[in-house]
Amino acid sequence: MACLIGRRDLVGAGLAALVAGRAWAQPVFRLGLTPVFLDNDAAVIDGLRRALSRGMGREIELVQRRTYQDITGLLLERGVDAAWLCGYPYLQHADLLGLVAVPVWRGAPSYQSYLIAAAADPAGTLTDLRGGTHAFSDPDSNSGYLVTATDLRRMGERADTFFSRSIFTFGHRNVVRAVADGLVRSGSVDGYVWEALAAIEPDLTARTRIVGRSEWLGFPPVCARRDMLGSDPVQALQRALMDLPTTDEGRRALAALHLDGFQQATPDLFDGIADRMRDLET
Amino acid sequence: MKWLGPFPLSIKLPILAAAMMVLVGAVASQQVLRALARVQDARIQELAQMHVEGLSVALGPLVLRHDIWEVYDTLDRAAQAGEGRRMVLTAVADERGRVLAATDPRRVPIDSDIADLARDAVALENLSVDGSAGVLSLLAPLSYQGRTVGQIATELDVSDLLAERRQALVYLLVGNAMAVGILSLAGFAALRRMLRPVTTLARQMTETQGEPHPIADTDIPRGHGELARLARTYNTMVGAVADKAEAERRLAARERFVALGRLSSSLAHEINNPLGGLLNATDTIRSFADRPDVVRHSADLLDRGLRHLRDVTRATLDQNRLDRVEQPLGPEDFEDLKLLIQPEVTRRALVLDWSVEFDADDPPGIPAGPVRQIALNLLLNSCAAASPSGRIGLHVWREADALRLDIADTGSGMSQAELERLLGDGPLSPGGGVGLRIVRDLATRMGGIVDHVRTDGVTRVTVALPTQGSVQAAHGTGGPAC
Repeated sequence: MACLIGRRDLVGAGLAALVAGRAWAQPVFRLGLTPVFLDNDAAVIDGLRRALSRGMGREIELVQRRTYQDITGLLLERGVDAAWLCGYPYLQHADLLGLVAVPVWRGAPSYQSYLIAAAADPAGTLTDLRGGTHAFSDPDSNSGYLVTATDLRRMGERADTFFSRSIFTFGHRNVVRAVADGLVRSGSVDGYVWEALAAIEPDLTARTRIVGRSEWLGFPPVCARRDMLGSDPVQALQRALMDLPTTDEGRRALAALHLDGFQQATPDLFDGIADRMRDLET
Repeated sequence: MKWLGPFPLSIKLPILAAAMMVLVGAVASQQVLRALARVQDARIQELAQMHVEGLSVALGPLVLRHDIWEVYDTLDRAAQAGEGRRMVLTAVADERGRVLAATDPRRVPIDSDIADLARDAVALENLSVDGSAGVLSLLAPLSYQGRTVGQIATELDVSDLLAERRQALVYLLVGNAMAVGILSLAGFAALRRMLRPVTTLARQMTETQGEPHPIADTDIPRGHGELARLARTYNTMVGAVADKAEAERRLAARERFVALGRLSSSLAHEINNPLGGLLNATDTIRSFADRPDVVRHSADLLDRGLRHLRDVTRATLDQNRLDRVEQPLGPEDFEDLKLLIQPEVTRRALVLDWSVEFDADDPPGIPAGPVRQIALNLLLNSCAAASPSGRIGLHVWREADALRLDIADTGSGMSQAELERLLGDGPLSPGGGVGLRIVRDLATRMGGIVDHVRTDGVTRVTVALPTQGSVQAAHGTGGPAC
């Protein structure tokens, strides 16, 4: 058997082993995920992990927590190397966090917040939902809290008094479920998630109706600590995200996420969210 | 059970056996259903307890935090589980009874009062699948870390358990009906077979036209069982009855000869008296053969005496001649009776009252033999009973459908034993004659009635004989009385 293996084969095998050994020797890259997208689908998560792992040439551990605050805290405390956050917590900690990449959805790095109600609900505007129960996604979510809260503030209202009761579901899909099942009358949800659910689970979204849409706002970005932005792992992550459309595995991951790809962005992409934050604080 | 009375034993016993089987089947079915109900109750209680305990563990901290979404999400996921289908609705409330979440939020909204839902709810230990409702309502405390932090109201769908119970009931009914039907038929056949000797015995006793017949050896069950012993005992009884009848027949015949002896002695006396006169007449004729007037007078005397003797002889012959027995009754039969009884009357110096109202143109259609026997027995009995110089009498007359014979005497009256022989059907006491019993038997066979009355020192026996029908069947050959 040995006599059949040529010198070229031996050199090739040695190089492959060297590359593999290098990849295996890299420390695990920890990427935090907020419930900003379809985090309930293990196949989607696994597809993203495998695509990024292959692109970065190292093993990736995807870290999920229930709340935005948990993930943001982990990122700030270096519990994770990077995280897919929301624009709102990014801006809350803009002094410590930097942008790695921003997803592109339907041709642009922006999305909307949807105000939804049950399909049979006659409400036409946010005002019509007064006195009802309301589901927010997360107190640190732009689309799942900040938008509706600032809309109410601009109306001179407060969420805890405008609604008879408001709850946090800590997941955009949960907001859609809460409204569809009748647990609450209305909800604030990520428009990207709602649209993705409309394609994946049309029976679920069919039981809800969009009462209002916000202006276009910066899509939830992938962030890292500013002091880590130039590090190899973060740079590798950035390249891998940018290169996702170039590989089959990356395209499958993007298709599962209903995204077009990732691009670099500047902080001014999130000026709309910053405006709302100021409105809420005043 | 009176309605079963008219049915024969071979029908009644299988019916009773079937009724017992139905009763046993009903009791067994009741026990099975009760056991099923207990099992179902235990099952539903265990299930509900697991449900409540599981939710308590899962929801305790969530309820403490009033985390409405997590409570709902947990309830919703539990409802999707297998046993969750039995829990058609579950609602969780805080310690004040305000609903945090329910599996059907539209029906039980957030912050509603759980009491509205649990109005008909029962505690866990009282949960029972015994009503007709397909949904049970349960209210249980939600305990966490040893304290009650809320309440759980659950509606359980038990329609499948009720259907299972109904199905069990149907199966039991059908199964029992089939089992009872088959067993009843088998029991009917078996009991009919077992009771066949009794049926045979009853037939032998009732369908033999007055004379019991023994059961054939082939029809007697084998072995020494009760029915075999009963059949053999019956055959023994039949033999004893036949022997007794034969003995009575022989006794009656002997009585007949005794009576004939008595009649013969009376007749001898009756014949002796005229014989003396007749012999004197022949002596007178020999002595005065030359005197025509004396000879003529003696010849007349001889003629009357001989005619009298001829009549006596004819009457005696008629009384005992068998071919007279089936001849229809006529007035000459009573003349013969008078002729026959006259010597005894004369011997006992009695007065005879004789009255026979008999229209020869309208005969009663009754055989002469039994009537002659009845009248002669009663007249001889009256002669014996009447004191010397007393009176006896016979009065015969026709009524609408009967011929009546009234025999009276001035004797001291019949003893109790004599009355029992004349009027009863009981066994004959030893020592007495059979004449009176023969009177009763003959009258009974002819469909007649015997009556007795004692008034003013006169004993009167009346025999009423129907003039048609059963008289033809009467054929008595009994002997004279006393």
